[in-house]
Amino acid sequence: MGAAADPRTVRAKSGGATVVRYLEVVKRYGGFTALAGVTLEVHAGEVVCLIGPSGSGKSTLLRCTNGLETIDGGEIEFEGERLARDERTLRTMRQRMGMVFQSFELFPHLTAQQNVAEGPRTVQRVGNAEADRRATAMLAKVGLADKAASYPSALSGGQQQRVAIARALAMEPDVMLFDEPTSALDPETIGEVLSVMKALADEGMTMVVVTHEMSFARRVGDWVAVFDAGRLVEQGPPDQIFDAPRTERTRDFLGHLGWAG
Amino acid sequence: MTLDWSVVWEHREALAAGTATTFLLTIATMAIAVPGGIAVALLRMYGAVPLRALAAGYVELFRNLPLILVVYWAFYVVPILTGVGLSALATGLAALALNVTAYNAETFRAGINSIRRGQVEAALALGMSRGQALRRIVVPQALRRILPVLASTWVSLFKDTSLVSVIAVTELAYVSMQVRAQTFRVLEMLTAMAALYWLLGYPQAKLVDWMQRRFRVTE
Amino acid sequence: MEFDFRVVADSWRFLAYGVGVTLLLSVVSGVASLAAGFGVASLRLYGPAWVRWPVVLYIDSMRAIPVLVVLVWTFFALPIVSGITMSPFTAALVGLTIHLAAYAAEIVRAGIESVRPGQARAALALGMSRAQVLRRIVLPQAIVRMLPAFGSLLSITIKDTAIASVIAVPELMRQSETVAGQSFQPIEVFTVAMALYFTMLFPVTRGVDAVYRRVAHLGRS
Repeated sequence: MGAAADPRTVRAKSGGATVVRYLEVVKRYGGFTALAGVTLEVHAGEVVCLIGPSGSGKSTLLRCTNGLETIDGGEIEFEGERLARDERTLRTMRQRMGMVFQSFELFPHLTAQQNVAEGPRTVQRVGNAEADRRATAMLAKVGLADKAASYPSALSGGQQQRVAIARALAMEPDVMLFDEPTSALDPETIGEVLSVMKALADEGMTMVVVTHEMSFARRVGDWVAVFDAGRLVEQGPPDQIFDAPRTERTRDFLGHLGWAG
Repeated sequence: MTLDWSVVWEHREALAAGTATTFLLTIATMAIAVPGGIAVALLRMYGAVPLRALAAGYVELFRNLPLILVVYWAFYVVPILTGVGLSALATGLAALALNVTAYNAETFRAGINSIRRGQVEAALALGMSRGQALRRIVVPQALRRILPVLASTWVSLFKDTSLVSVIAVTELAYVSMQVRAQTFRVLEMLTAMAALYWLLGYPQAKLVDWMQRRFRVTE
Repeated sequence: MEFDFRVVADSWRFLAYGVGVTLLLSVVSGVASLAAGFGVASLRLYGPAWVRWPVVLYIDSMRAIPVLVVLVWTFFALPIVSGITMSPFTAALVGLTIHLAAYAAEIVRAGIESVRPGQARAALALGMSRAQVLRRIVLPQAIVRMLPAFGSLLSITIKDTAIASVIAVPELMRQSETVAGQSFQPIEVFTVAMALYFTMLFPVTRGVDAVYRRVAHLGRS
C-alpha cells in the first residue's frame, strides 16, 4: 500500500519549496473517470516524470495543472495558492507556468522570433524591445538563433518543438510542463529536443514531463510517477522505479516496453 | 430571320446604367452582409443560449429558402408589416442582405471553427485571455480560409442581383429585358444580356480561382 | 392586423400541383446534370487535350452567367436560333441542366483529384488496368467525398427551380404568385410558400449530413 502513500518522506531533492501540489485530484469526462484521486508533489528544481500506458491520465493531470481542464474533485495548489477558477487569476498563474505540447502548436502565421516574443509582448506587455530581446536570447538558448526569421512550415519537427520550448521559456516561468514533447517527432530529431530539456534541468528548472522516453526519465528525472487507469500506482526515484519496482503494475508496464534497464 | 445588333449599341447608356446598379447592389449588399455575418457568427458561437438559437435559426432559415421568394416576400410583406414604403431598390437590397448575411455567418463560423483547438490552448497556456487568443491567433489564421469563400460568395451575389429584376429594380437583367420588350429584338438583347454578364462575371470567377490557389491551406 | 389563411386552404390543390412540378423539375434536372457532370468531368480529366479548353470555357461561363439569364435565353432565344419550340417546363429543364452540369462537373473533378495518387499506384502495382483502377478504387472513394457537395448542389437545384417562375413554369413559386395576385393576400400565401420550400430543403441538407457521417470513413485514405 505504501506505493501511493505520502511521498514527502522520501525525496532526492527535498528541502526545496513545493511548486505544485496535487491532492486527491479527480477528473471525469461524463461516465469516464480519467483521474481517480491523484496525490503528488513537485518541488523546486525537480524534474518529475509521469509515465504509464496511454490513456492512464498523465496528460490529463498536466492539462489540469494550468487549468486547460477543470478538476471535479480534490485540489491543485500552485506556489502555495489554490489553482484559480476565475479566468483573470488563472491567467496570471498561467504566465508563471510554461507548457510545451505534443503537437508543438506554433502559430503558423508568425515567424519563430514572433512566436517566441508573442507571450512577453501580448500577455506580459513588456514592450517590443524587451520582447524581442528575450525572444532572441531564448532562440539562441535552444540553438535556433539562425532560424529566427523562419516560419514554422519551414522548420523540421524537432526545430519546431525547440521553438515551442523557447516560447514557453520567454515567459520566465517557475515551472515547465511538457506533454509528451517527443511523441510526434522523427527518431532523428528526438535527441535534439531531449538535449535542450536536459540542459534546462541541469540549470535547475522545475519540470513536469509526461513522456514515453524511459531513458530520459531514468537519466534526467529526479522523481518518477507511474500512472495506470487514472491512479498513481507507484512513485519514487528513478532507481527504484526502473531497477526495483515495488508494484506488479509497474513491472508489467516496464516489461511490456521491453525495458531491460 | 434578320438580326439587328445595333439595338444593343443604341441602348448602351441604359445598359451601362443597369450594370452600374448591379455593381451598386453587390457592393452595398456585401457592405451590410460582411459585418452582419460576423455579428451573427459571434452571436452563434459566443452568445447567451437563447441568442445562439436565434442566430442558428436565422441562418438555417435563409439557407433553406429560394432567394427569389425572399425578394417577393420582402416586396409584398414588408410594407404591410412595417407600414413603411421602401423603394424597390431598397427592398431588393434588404432581401439580398438578409440572404447573404446568413451565408456569411456560416462562412465565418466554419472558418473560426476550423482552427485547431491546440492553437487556442497554446495561446491560453501563455496566459492570453480568450479575446486575445481570438484576435491574435485564431482570426489571422481563419481569414486565410474565409477570404476565398467570401470571394466566391461575392461572385454568386453578383449573379443573384439579377433576381431583383422581378420587382422591377433597374439592374442589368431588368434593363435588358425592358429593351427587348420595347424593340422586339429578342435574340439580340437576350444574347447581349448573357454576353454582358459573361464579360463581367468571367474575370471575377477567375479572380476567385486565383485567391483559392493563393490562400491554399497547407497544414 | 389579421391573417386569413383560408385562401391558402382553398387553393391547396393549386399549390400542391406547384410542389409537384418543383419536385419533378428538381429531380429530373438533378439527375440529368449529375450524368452530364460526370461526362463533362471525364472529358476534362481523361479526354484528348484539345477538348479541355472548350470544356473549361463552358464550366467557367456557367459560373459567370446567372440562372435567370440562362433560363430566359433558353426559353425565348433558343427557339429563334434553332427553330425548336419548347414548353416552359422543357426549357427550364434544359436550361437548369446546362447550368448545373457545370457545377456537377467541378464537384466530380474535385472528388476524383482528392483521392491520393498513392491509391492509384497501389492498384496499378497489383496489376489492375487503368479502367479498373478508376472503377474499383478511385471512384468509390471519390464518390464518398463528393456527397456533401452534391447534397449542397441538390439544395441549390431546388432553389433554382423557383427562378423558372419567370418563364411561367407552373412550379410552386409561380403558383404562389398567381394565388397571391388573385387573392390580394400576399403575406399568407408567400408565408405558406416559404414554409413549403423550407420543408423540402431542410431535410435535404440534414439528410446529406447524416448519410455522409455514416460513409465518410469509406472515403478516407
